[in-house]
Amino acid sequence: MECRVLSIQSHVVRGYVGNKSATFPLQVLGFEVDSINSVQFSNHTGYGHWKGQVLTAEELNVLYEGIKLNNVNHYDYILTGYSRDISFLVTVVDIIKELKKANPSLVYVCDPVMGDQGAMYVPENLLPVYKNKVVPLADILTPNQFEAELLTGRKINTEEDAIEVMDLLHKMGPETVVLTSTDLPSKQGDQFLVALGSQKISKVSDGTNTDQKICMDIPKVDAVFVGTGDLFAALMLAWTHQHPKDLKTACEKTVSVMHHVIKRTITYANEMAGPGKRPTPAQLELRMVQSKADIENPAIVVEAKVLQKSSQ
Amino acid sequence: MECRVLSIQSHVVRGYVGNKSASFPLQLLGFEVDSINSVQFSNHTGYSHWKGQVLTADELHVLYEGIKLNNVHHYDYVLTGYTRDTSFLEMVVDIVQELKRANPNLVYVCDPVLGDHGSMVRLLIIRVPCCMCVHAVMDLLHAMGPDTVVITSSDLPSRLGDRFLVSLGSQRHVRPDGSRTTQRVRLEVPKVDAVFVGTGDLFAAMLLAWTHHYPTDLKTACEKTFSVMHHVIQRTISYAHELAGPGRRPSPPQLELRMVQSKADIEDPAIVTEATVIS
Repeated sequence: MECRVLSIQSHVVRGYVGNKSATFPLQVLGFEVDSINSVQFSNHTGYGHWKGQVLTAEELNVLYEGIKLNNVNHYDYILTGYSRDISFLVTVVDIIKELKKANPSLVYVCDPVMGDQGAMYVPENLLPVYKNKVVPLADILTPNQFEAELLTGRKINTEEDAIEVMDLLHKMGPETVVLTSTDLPSKQGDQFLVALGSQKISKVSDGTNTDQKICMDIPKVDAVFVGTGDLFAALMLAWTHQHPKDLKTACEKTVSVMHHVIKRTITYANEMAGPGKRPTPAQLELRMVQSKADIENPAIVVEAKVLQKSSQ
Repeated sequence: MECRVLSIQSHVVRGYVGNKSASFPLQLLGFEVDSINSVQFSNHTGYSHWKGQVLTADELHVLYEGIKLNNVHHYDYVLTGYTRDTSFLEMVVDIVQELKRANPNLVYVCDPVLGDHGSMVRLLIIRVPCCMCVHAVMDLLHAMGPDTVVITSSDLPSRLGDRFLVSLGSQRHVRPDGSRTTQRVRLEVPKVDAVFVGTGDLFAAMLLAWTHHYPTDLKTACEKTFSVMHHVIQRTISYAHELAGPGRRPSPPQLELRMVQSKADIEDPAIVTEATVIS
């Protein structure tokens, strides 16, 4: 497999977020990963302390220039995640546009990180940039419920709402949309959360469009993890690459890997913390390296249900 | 295995040198790798063009401070490579000294030589270009500090002819009864007709990994390390020639190590070079 990804995300010295979370799994699955580190911090910002440096939009341009001057600015995928800086995000958009001109088949996997549980954790003025510039370029989008609501201006209270929001997101750009988590009630009870996905597939033979909509019940975990969203987006890239017209399988594999990594992590974290004590952020770092076998060949633990199929 | 490495090396967006060369193989072998990127460049400096930014000694210190403030500055290994900046190197030395106070068993894998700070170095990889009496060279280096020394390539004539170069290793142990012993090994390594970048960084990382698994068996550690190098290099040169086309010399981008494709060889290298124990 000759597949090259450009990933523009954070770097932490210790732990697994941003590029640290995305790179190893993609490399294990055979992808060449070129990584631009948007920041270098000692660790993620959920620890007691964090220190480091950020890359400016200008410095990002300089790095891209280097790649371009050598005529190696050819990518099959771009992957982006958390960003706090408008000018940085705008520069990323310009780079993606140029890379898409160089390779029109390029797939942009975008995690539109803006917030969760009803609260934004990036500056508010990033929303219009995502809506108007970033999402229109995206081919695969992995928002959570809150981010999907922000982008479309619609609230999700029912499964029908979720389907409508995914269709609205398709109209904004991406052919594949995954709502990574929602507050919708799961038929399996309150120990589960509901995730949904939608993929537009055009039939080359007769030009018709169909879409596949799926939904999954995912076991909740009683802990706060950091870096799981970044891992999710990287895995969606990998498994949609392997299963380009089969969102059901791509999502089952992605969610299953997540499950194995998270279970291994929480077991280890509880062991480190000791009985009756809540693990610390340091102890809750994803057990990435230890999960290599699960990343390579995940045992499927979640079955995605195919929802109504409609033709247009 | 719970083993944490702090690796302070360059980062390149594209390709495999410095931390890009060292991290993936170590992670594949089960090591936790904390990486401080001393620079971020678009690619290595052997390409026609390269652009990027360097980390200052102060910025390095700031990153280390963050690790320390969280009380997670506990490492089993430190790995460093090439640096051009004296003040940066001095900051690295300060950090390693502090880490050794926090964990006296810490092993510092250093490529290349750190001059008169060699007393901190436990495992050393050097390239010796000229013919000296190798036993003398290695004993000199042991006296400076490191218990393990590997001379990755020398100009000694190989028994197998001029398509081979000679590498040597030496490891000092203290026996349970307190007496000292030294194991010396010699390997005949096939030469390759190409210039690779990042191979030294990969070598140091793999020597870290295999001496970890074989702490008193330098013969096996070297055989595995050199064998991994062989497989990665062979795969790389085949691919590079394929890309370049018949009769053409591959370019630096085409010669980037086939790291990701060599996963199986890194995890479990078929031994292709046998080390001879010479004393």
